[in-house]
Amino acid sequence: MTAAPTAAAPRHSRIIDLLRGAPILGPVAALILACIFFATQTDRFLSGANFSLILQQVMVVGTLAIGQELVILTGGIDLSNGMIMALSSVLTTGLIANSGVHPFLAVVLGLAVCVAFGVLNGWLTTAIGLPPFIVTLGTFNIAYALVRIYTTATITSVPDSLLFFGNTFSIGSTEITYGSILMLVLFAIAWLVLGSTRAGRSVYAVGDNPEAARLAGIRTSRVLVGVYAMAALSYGIAGLLLVARTGVGDPQAGQTGNLDSITAVVLGGTSLLGGRGQIMGALVGALIVGVFRNGLQLMGVGSIYQVLITGILVILAVSVDYLSHRAK
Amino acid sequence: MTATTATPQGKVLLEMKDIGKSFPDVKALQGVSLSVREGEVLALLGENGAGKSTLIKILSGAYTKDEGEIFFEGQPVTIRSPQDAQDLGISTIYQESNLAKDLTVAENIFLGRLPAKGLLVDWETVRKKSREILDRLGATISVDAIVSTLSVAEQQLVEISKSLNRKTRILIMDEPSAVLGESDLERLFQVVRSLQAEGIGIIYISHRMREIFELADEVTVLKDGRFVGTRRVADVTMDELVRLIIGRDLEDVFPRREVVPGEVLLEVKNLRRARLVHDVSFQLRAGEILGFAGITGSGRTEVVRAIFGADAHGGEMRISGKPYRASSPTEAIRRGIALVNEDRKAHGLFLKLDVTVNTTIAALKGLCRAGFIQRAKEKALVQKLIQDLRIKTPGASSIVLNMSGGNQQKVIISRWLAIDTRILIMDEPTRGIDVGSKSEIYQIMNELTKRGVGIIMISSELPEVLGMSDRILVMREGTIVGELARADASEEAIMKRAVGGDLAQGAAARA
Ligand SMILES: Nc1ncnc2c1ncn2[C@@H]1O[C@H](COP(=O)(O)OP(=O)(O)OP(=O)(O)O)[C@@H](O)[C@H]1O
Ligand SMILES: [Mg+2]
Repeated sequence: MTAAPTAAAPRHSRIIDLLRGAPILGPVAALILACIFFATQTDRFLSGANFSLILQQVMVVGTLAIGQELVILTGGIDLSNGMIMALSSVLTTGLIANSGVHPFLAVVLGLAVCVAFGVLNGWLTTAIGLPPFIVTLGTFNIAYALVRIYTTATITSVPDSLLFFGNTFSIGSTEITYGSILMLVLFAIAWLVLGSTRAGRSVYAVGDNPEAARLAGIRTSRVLVGVYAMAALSYGIAGLLLVARTGVGDPQAGQTGNLDSITAVVLGGTSLLGGRGQIMGALVGALIVGVFRNGLQLMGVGSIYQVLITGILVILAVSVDYLSHRAK
Repeated sequence: MTATTATPQGKVLLEMKDIGKSFPDVKALQGVSLSVREGEVLALLGENGAGKSTLIKILSGAYTKDEGEIFFEGQPVTIRSPQDAQDLGISTIYQESNLAKDLTVAENIFLGRLPAKGLLVDWETVRKKSREILDRLGATISVDAIVSTLSVAEQQLVEISKSLNRKTRILIMDEPSAVLGESDLERLFQVVRSLQAEGIGIIYISHRMREIFELADEVTVLKDGRFVGTRRVADVTMDELVRLIIGRDLEDVFPRREVVPGEVLLEVKNLRRARLVHDVSFQLRAGEILGFAGITGSGRTEVVRAIFGADAHGGEMRISGKPYRASSPTEAIRRGIALVNEDRKAHGLFLKLDVTVNTTIAALKGLCRAGFIQRAKEKALVQKLIQDLRIKTPGASSIVLNMSGGNQQKVIISRWLAIDTRILIMDEPTRGIDVGSKSEIYQIMNELTKRGVGIIMISSELPEVLGMSDRILVMREGTIVGELARADASEEAIMKRAVGGDLAQGAAARA
């Protein structure tokens, strides 16, 4: 036993413990490092306009990730989210354009269909006890089919009122989209609810140990159905943001929404086993992906390499998380 | 009995010298030494969080030490992994079972080391050798039984067999008796003694003082991660030992019970659960401590889980005269019932969450204003409970997973002290809790009853049942077979009813 490892061991584990105690620190550090890196590579990166663009680029995935985070915290997973988003955006725009429904009513109907899907997901996982992976794989396909049955053509005549969240306002010389602000507000609400209410605590408790949660008086089925329903509501809102950003109701949209949102959640330091993670981690995770895509693009790297690097990032992030939890 | 031989004999097998180990925020061990001889039982004692489990985890290769040296038969050795420990012949039986529950007894005993005959597993040898090992322990369980169908005591025998199937010179047992009832203890003792006779050195951790005097040759005591001392058991008294462990005299373990039970709080009539509970009826009064005795598997846990609404059941219940339907734990808690579960890991703790969340999870309703948790109020409550129960933790935001077993148990108890309960049900409440803290928990129970709380306490520790209960119900095979007033209760009286018939003779003789 030489002196060196003895001295090094506690310091090493202190960093690990810091990461363990505040799992969001790692992702934040990664985000900052990525920003510094790209700032040194291209001078177009470090500008208000570019950051606003990044926010705008991640607002749809970020909003999807809010719901995904909630579901993953309970120890589940939601593969259906991108398709639920597509269904809501196609249905809302379609009702307005093809059936002449009032935009407000159409939005409400679109969101209601999403919530119904969420309740279905939650009910199947709790009442029948099916694994969330299977249930949401099923509803993914159902929602996909419903979209295609409803329309195969892109819905282009979208009223201005639905495009509001794509509009911008300016702070100084920087233009910011209302949609990215909406995403940030949704994150803030989710953060408040998860951190400071009974419902939020219940989500963590159910994710950590469902039986112990039940025996502590928590109505676990209600919590789970509620989580899937709220998650689906966030997918519906993501659908509205998507319409606002693209200006159309696109039946092809959302097919990689599940994997993209899981990527954001995982990069944000949330454990796929449930019970451990922070909602703001999902925001940071989404931003990390956004910054890499944006930065690499500015550097002129092809989009397929951006995907490649995202893949590497995910594996790296999970390895760090895994090693820090295995280390004694 | 030959358990307490006066003079040390046998050569020293293992020595640990000046062991140190730090975790972030905690210096778990500092300058700790111990030694074990061939054929000797060394009891490792100390309060909750003293560092006992950490020390043996260093020995078994689960943790690596920061400082100190380990000698095996006089030679310095390095243990960096469980494999290293196994190679030296050090086997460990952790408190949490490490068995593959869906495999058979024989498969578990040979797990990871199945002998081959050509390309196939040599099942004949597996079954034959397993039988031999079980016989050596005097165990009658079938080698083909699926482990999950065995009782906890039998599973423990399988664990011991598994370690005996490897070369074992040192056997470490971390609170093996915590999961056992009084009647299974005797078998464990016999096994330990026979291993001792084979020359195996044994390190035995327990909080039950009586066992130490019955089983151990020597004790090593730790306190706050430091070495306090080593004594021959023959040379110390119970009081001296307790003083070494907690650093002060322990006046009375049990408080004087002066509360006069009031009106009937809970009335249970014909409680039934398929095959497990048959027509159980009783009453609990305000301010009363009602003890439930019986061997493990006698249906006590099943009764209280039904009352708490955790499992489906039949029968009728009333709380303060009003009908009560135990439809769910949520409903039970709403009606003022709390249950400290028997299995803290599976049914109690949120291991990855912190002390605060674990403590206040059932109390949040009262801590919320306008839907939001009042942090200051919550923090004050948790701090108070940490102090009252002397929970040892670096802070309220520490993860429960890293706490010592006894401190985890205290967290579970504190969860139910955090809310206003009228009926507190405690299933093995002091499991794994040190002598000093036990006495504090008894004190708290006593205070609660003064405020009119009725307590149902299940315990397999007879001194605890006798020391705390105003009235004792004895269960056997799912029914209540006897009721004893405090004045008439004795260990013999309880065991006679708990075991029933002829078996009672042997058990009573031991007690
Ligand atoms: N993995 C870990 N990370 C951080 N702290 C730890 C870890 N393991 C143990 N500790 C701390 O080390 C101290 C000693 O714990 P240990 O489990 O050895 O106690 P113990 O003597 O076995 O107590 P008990 O009688 O309650 O089982 C405690 O303060 C505990 O919180
Ligand atoms: Mg321990």
